[in-house]
Amino acid sequence: MRGSRRFKVAAAAGTVALLLAACSSSSTGTSTGGGSSTSGGSSNFGGATINVWSSMDQPIIDGLSAKLDPEAKALGINVKWTKVDNINQIIATKVQANAAPDIAMVPQPGVIQQLKAHVTPLDNVLDVAALKQSYIPGVLDTSTFDGKLYGILVSANLKGLIFYPKKIWDAKGYTVPTTIDELNTLTDKIKSDGITPWCAGIESGTGTGWPATDWLENLVMRYGGIQTYNDWISHKVKFDSPIVTQAGNEMAKLLFTSGNVPGGRTAIASTSFQTAGTPMFQPKPGCLLYQQGSFITAFFPKDIQADLPSNVGVFGMPPATAGGDNPVEGGGDTAAIFKDSPAARAVMKLLAATDLGSIAAGNGSSFLSPHKDFPLTDYKSVLTQQYAKVAYAATAFGFDASDAMPGTVGSGSFWKQMTTWVSGSEDLSSALKAIDGSWPSG
Amino acid sequence: MLFKGFSAILTVLAGIGVALVLYWILNKIVEFLPGKWEDRIKPYAYIAPAFLAITLYLIYPAIRTVFLSFKNDDSTKFVGTKNYTDLLKSHDFQQTLYNTLLWILIVPAATIVLGLAVGILADHLRPGSEKASKTIIFLPMAISAVGAATVWRFVYAYSPPGQPQIGLLNAIWTAFGRQPIPWLATSTLHFNSILLMVMMLWMQIGFSMVLLSAAIKGVPTETLEAARIDGANERQIFGRVILPQIKGTIVTVFVTVTIGVMKIFDIVYVMTNGNFNTNVIGVDFFNQLFTNINNGAAASIVVMLTVAVIPIMIYQVRHFRAEEAAR
Amino acid sequence: MTATLAPPTDVRPKKKRRGAGGEGGAGRASWPVKISVLLICFLWIVPALGVIVTSFRTVDDSNSSGWWEVFLHPFKYIPQLTTANYTDAIHQAGIGTALINSLAIALPATFIPILIAAFAAYAFTFMRFPGRDTLFILIVSMLVIPNYVAFVPILQLYSQLHLAGTFPAAWLAHIGFGMSLAIFILRNYMSTLPKEVIESAKIDGASHFTTFWRLILPMSTPALAAFAIFQFLWTWNDLLVALVFIGPGENQPVTIAVNNLLGQQGTGWELVTAGGILSMIIPVIVFLSMQRFFVRGLTAGSVKG
Repeated sequence: MRGSRRFKVAAAAGTVALLLAACSSSSTGTSTGGGSSTSGGSSNFGGATINVWSSMDQPIIDGLSAKLDPEAKALGINVKWTKVDNINQIIATKVQANAAPDIAMVPQPGVIQQLKAHVTPLDNVLDVAALKQSYIPGVLDTSTFDGKLYGILVSANLKGLIFYPKKIWDAKGYTVPTTIDELNTLTDKIKSDGITPWCAGIESGTGTGWPATDWLENLVMRYGGIQTYNDWISHKVKFDSPIVTQAGNEMAKLLFTSGNVPGGRTAIASTSFQTAGTPMFQPKPGCLLYQQGSFITAFFPKDIQADLPSNVGVFGMPPATAGGDNPVEGGGDTAAIFKDSPAARAVMKLLAATDLGSIAAGNGSSFLSPHKDFPLTDYKSVLTQQYAKVAYAATAFGFDASDAMPGTVGSGSFWKQMTTWVSGSEDLSSALKAIDGSWPSG
Repeated sequence: MLFKGFSAILTVLAGIGVALVLYWILNKIVEFLPGKWEDRIKPYAYIAPAFLAITLYLIYPAIRTVFLSFKNDDSTKFVGTKNYTDLLKSHDFQQTLYNTLLWILIVPAATIVLGLAVGILADHLRPGSEKASKTIIFLPMAISAVGAATVWRFVYAYSPPGQPQIGLLNAIWTAFGRQPIPWLATSTLHFNSILLMVMMLWMQIGFSMVLLSAAIKGVPTETLEAARIDGANERQIFGRVILPQIKGTIVTVFVTVTIGVMKIFDIVYVMTNGNFNTNVIGVDFFNQLFTNINNGAAASIVVMLTVAVIPIMIYQVRHFRAEEAAR
Repeated sequence: MTATLAPPTDVRPKKKRRGAGGEGGAGRASWPVKISVLLICFLWIVPALGVIVTSFRTVDDSNSSGWWEVFLHPFKYIPQLTTANYTDAIHQAGIGTALINSLAIALPATFIPILIAAFAAYAFTFMRFPGRDTLFILIVSMLVIPNYVAFVPILQLYSQLHLAGTFPAAWLAHIGFGMSLAIFILRNYMSTLPKEVIESAKIDGASHFTTFWRLILPMSTPALAAFAIFQFLWTWNDLLVALVFIGPGENQPVTIAVNNLLGQQGTGWELVTAGGILSMIIPVIVFLSMQRFFVRGLTAGSVKG
């Protein structure tokens, strides 16, 4: 899914809000909630067709459908998968037009929240207690609103991964840091070895700034823990607060210190996030560390991509203290029932199963299961195995904050103020204050 | 895909057909009226659809926008002049206004001067070369700002030092042994805004060149000959004979470019989205509307813009009246 | 491109025209002049050349070396050129669909307003009725009103009508925004047509409708063409109206598609440049083949008589 999703998500969230504002009177809630078919009593649905929409990459859809379709067929359900680009936006209009699919997988849980009057709560459909044990901690919280579960994460992706060029790394004998302090030490060590430690780039066309928000979010999550992080998303914790300031200062220490990034601080804002990591792979490496999401490998040079396992190493951004809170930032596609029926509920159960991804994990797609009990050996790609290790070791899963914040901030002032700060035309405190000031009132 | 293409053509035909039938019916209905009434009503029948479109898409929204500019972000509550005062008090918006003013001060004048210069130079060439060179310079006008952005990103692109520079400007710059410069992030003396204006000039100079060189060619020979006989040199002829005679065209180009620049949006949006202190009111308007979902602020920006356009509107109307009177 | 055309006046032919502007006139340019023009043309072409060249390079090549290297080291880079970027752009990046969408938006938005405007222009030119001048002044003043004024109210209207995101949303908007300019251009052109023709048609008993359809419309072809080209280029190249009323998604035109490639989309230079070139082909062809009309429309529009 690339960085594109982020933009689409942000844009879509705005549109949804507009649409909802315009049509707020037409809420015709499908008041279900009753646990009539709690245990899915009947095992035959007599050839019912369930439409499943998603915007996942085709290989992932193929992998999931190869596993799920026969299981559904056995229950007498035909599942029809449709790939819908820009689903955040489309689903809102389809709901308005009363033409929603039975199940849709949405990259932005906020969309489900905004449409929750039209979504079937799953508390009586699924065994939530058991799922809590199976998912990475916190995954269910991302789609729980007012105490009710409205969706389940089907396919995940990770942010805050730190990539490094494996060959040089091994030759120099560096080790993966286990705390942020160790990350600082590693940074200094690389620098003293005569290599620029970090690569960084936050340029992304009209979306410039978002890679910087990822940096800050990952640090806030680690310094403050997942509860503070979620409070930050809902603005109970301000931007201009000790935790966020601490995170910003650490980011500045790693990236803005003279000699830590090729071209220094001012280069970051003008370097494209797509190619910022490329210097890692030069004969004389331009840098050794690059923080990005799991999708970034698609932007690495083709010869590196040809053999990722021997060229690229990766570790999750370390926790603040060893063995302490170790949350992970990520995103993914959340499935929700938009047209309720016993058959739709039955399919939902199949989607919640841990082994749902057993084929998708091995078919060359970028699928990453959000179930921490998913067997690592099922992943064909070594790199994905490493992502999975990072994800399953996490003590909590936090959704990308800027995607979850109101659009004014999440794809507006947060991006812009980070850019202004990173480019050096503003200090951290005024940037954070400005973001607080832009938070929509009421 | 095919269906969409087909339906587009169908829409064109249907649209034209329906419009034609509509007019024919309107015409017929009016013709049933007694002779005197027919003549009275018919003109209005002919202009009615056009005015419906203008009313619906400009006049009604203009009035409604004024109204909305005094309401809150989702237009549910009156907030008085809060939108205006909030904007005008904000440092960011003041910068945005200042940047827009820079565009207004620099671009129209530069378009005229450079268009005139290029036009005069090209006019000296043989007709074939003249046409070829003018086509080249005129051509960027045919492409979108998004297309132009793909072009100019290769000029302004930046890579950190030590990396291969794939941007033309930095390649030349570093060839002289200097450190690469993140051009579009360099807001000292609004340098990055000026680089964006260069893009605009690249797209617009052809327009000014074509109009001005046509106007120069339209200057009657007698007046030039008369000046020559009086012993004027070429520079004097240009300043005293040609310039006054093409003044009207210069003003026209100036006004057109000024209006375009006042609402400049796509170049800035696509290249920097207003980052690095390059924001202009067109981009701010868009971001208020879509990122901030603040209808009130968006509306008040438009109202301010429209008020700023009114002097030009008055000039236009006066100019038009004078032209009509001279007819 | 600017949204409003220069206020046209008329096209009364000049008594005598010649290449003015300096010593000797056409064809006898001095070397400095020739070289300056050559230099200017070079400056104009070089940026565009970068996109054309890059659109045929592999992404790793364009990331690791400037496009000009292709000319400096032809043996190294030319064999690596590829057209795969174009097939990828069309199929994977959705530029193919977006091009069709652009046509689906631009064609109706170009041709439908012409007829409506022509009728109005006819009435303004050849009919006498109370309020005529006032109404036309209104149109003149509407020329400069930024179409931004329409966005918020029309968007609210569209949301209520469930029109946002559809082609008609853009058609209607472009028709509304282009109308005053169309009437203005056509009316100014029609007023230069010889009145006698209309008078004699009247004497022959032709109705207004017949006169318009048989006589005035064919005679106005140059102005119709000038406006059509203008409006087509405007709607094809438009980003803002499309972003506001259609937005990203299945109906997005090529400007939005390429803009997405420029920024967040998961693509590098190779698709951006190929997509950019694809977005330019049609307007450039239209422009070059119809340049005569376009220039005539522009000059007729603003060269004072």
